[in-house]
Amino acid sequence: MSAKSQRREWLTFLLFAGPNLIMFGLFTYWPILYSAYLSLTDWNLIAATPVFVGIKNYADLATDPETWRVTGNTIIYAVCVVVSAQIIAFALALLLHRPIPGRTLFRTLAFTPYVTTTAAAALAWVLLLDPRLGPLSTIYGLLGVEGPDLLRSGTGSLVAIIVVGSWKEIGIATIFFLAGLQTIDRSLHESASLEGAGSWAQTRFITIPLMTPVIFFLALSGFIAALKTFESVYMMTEGGPVYPDSSTYVFHLYKTGFRDFRAGLASALAVLFFALTVLMTAAQFRFARLWVHYE
Amino acid sequence: MNQHRFIRLAGLLLIVSVLTLPFYWMVVTALQPPGALVTGAHAWWPSEMHWANFSDAWNAAPFGQFFVNSAATGVAATTIQVLGAILMAYAFAVIQFPAKSVIVIAVIATMAVPEEAKLVPNFLLMRDFEWIDSYWALIVPPAAHAFPVFVLYQWFRTIPTSMRDAARADGAGHWRTLWLIYVPMSRPAIAAVVVIAFLGRWNDFLWPLIVTNTAEMRTLPIGLAYLRGLEETGNQWPVLMAGSLLVILPVLLLYAVAQRQFVEGITRGAIKG
Repeated sequence: MSAKSQRREWLTFLLFAGPNLIMFGLFTYWPILYSAYLSLTDWNLIAATPVFVGIKNYADLATDPETWRVTGNTIIYAVCVVVSAQIIAFALALLLHRPIPGRTLFRTLAFTPYVTTTAAAALAWVLLLDPRLGPLSTIYGLLGVEGPDLLRSGTGSLVAIIVVGSWKEIGIATIFFLAGLQTIDRSLHESASLEGAGSWAQTRFITIPLMTPVIFFLALSGFIAALKTFESVYMMTEGGPVYPDSSTYVFHLYKTGFRDFRAGLASALAVLFFALTVLMTAAQFRFARLWVHYE
Repeated sequence: MNQHRFIRLAGLLLIVSVLTLPFYWMVVTALQPPGALVTGAHAWWPSEMHWANFSDAWNAAPFGQFFVNSAATGVAATTIQVLGAILMAYAFAVIQFPAKSVIVIAVIATMAVPEEAKLVPNFLLMRDFEWIDSYWALIVPPAAHAFPVFVLYQWFRTIPTSMRDAARADGAGHWRTLWLIYVPMSRPAIAAVVVIAFLGRWNDFLWPLIVTNTAEMRTLPIGLAYLRGLEETGNQWPVLMAGSLLVILPVLLLYAVAQRQFVEGITRGAIKG
């Protein structure tokens, strides 16, 4: 290639990729760097300039029980959502795997929560979980018991958020399990049947072991997604009934930055969050590669 | 055998009924007359079909404006995001540039950066640009997204180079090769990326929450929170559920029409490492 045509090639590259590169620089790379700087300052967003305070924000976070509480809540939330959604999704996938009337419709319906606007769904769940209104009132009425008011109880409010998270996650997990089940060689089940293995034994000793890569992959990606939970907290509990009973990490970040106007502290929370999610995503990508090799 | 099948069907019905109960409940509640005692057996079916809740929700908050905001900024951001991604993915897959692989990795790696971690600086950027409470803030920053670049880059790399060479022999440059060969051959991937981008914009909550502050600029999900905060509608469940349905109906319609693209786009983004 001549020098002239090579210059032309490079120029075309810049014309094609340039606009997006500027956007990534401005709205992704710059914010990461600026966050790191802001995390070392004290700033209420109004004063003319941030005041440099060194690692004080990180020290404050480490000694503030609220930080630990929201981090704990978020981990409990993520683990509960991932585990409950996977169990239900696995059952659903096993039921949907073989031909059954209405299979496509069932699959479509199970996936619908995943695409539904979380803010709207969370509002509906406030009603659904109310012990005096909604379907629970009927069930409690039939049983003749006074049901718990989840959203007004400390632990209950976190449970309510978990229910919504799990509800949204089941559909996507089902899709992945179904795809995984399709890759299992049928002859394995056939020979197991000949050996006299029942359907439970086959699930336990053939299906589940062969699905472990899918389970690990979903656990990791579901966990990362769960760490980002915000809307359901905002719409359902605002972190209450007594803050931070049901607050999550991202809600706490939002509150610190945009309600308490502590930009430096919020940036320190953001930097730690960034580090954690990047590490987990790197692990996920490594694992995805392993998974592809498995087959 | 038949008994087995019956048990499976019963299990499916049970799980799927629970999963779809919230939708049923939204519809039933949205049709209840205002102030009805929505409790016990009364709650399962409306005592009369009270369609006025939808117009009440529409009128209590500037829902028409929310709709326009969500639709306009959603379409604009999706267009910019996908056009930018098509150009960038082509440059990455086809055009030569020094140290290209470093640039490719630097862009794809941003998929791991959570939006939540960039909130404060991007808000400050919007303030410096004087874009707070404007369409610019809702359209431009979300348009820089690595996911569609990643999906289209993967797809473009599977297109055989012989296609490109043939186009070049006919005298086509990169611009024409992209639009006459690469884009037409990538329709499924582009459709998936468009659907996912629009869904992401429509459902987004945190970003529009912090960069808009007047009712005129709010998008639908934030508008719903606004409807709930209003004194006259805040505890009117029929009106709130009618409002919720107005927010999710467009998404559900899009999902019904483009289900394959949704599933394709979401799973594609999640797997390939």
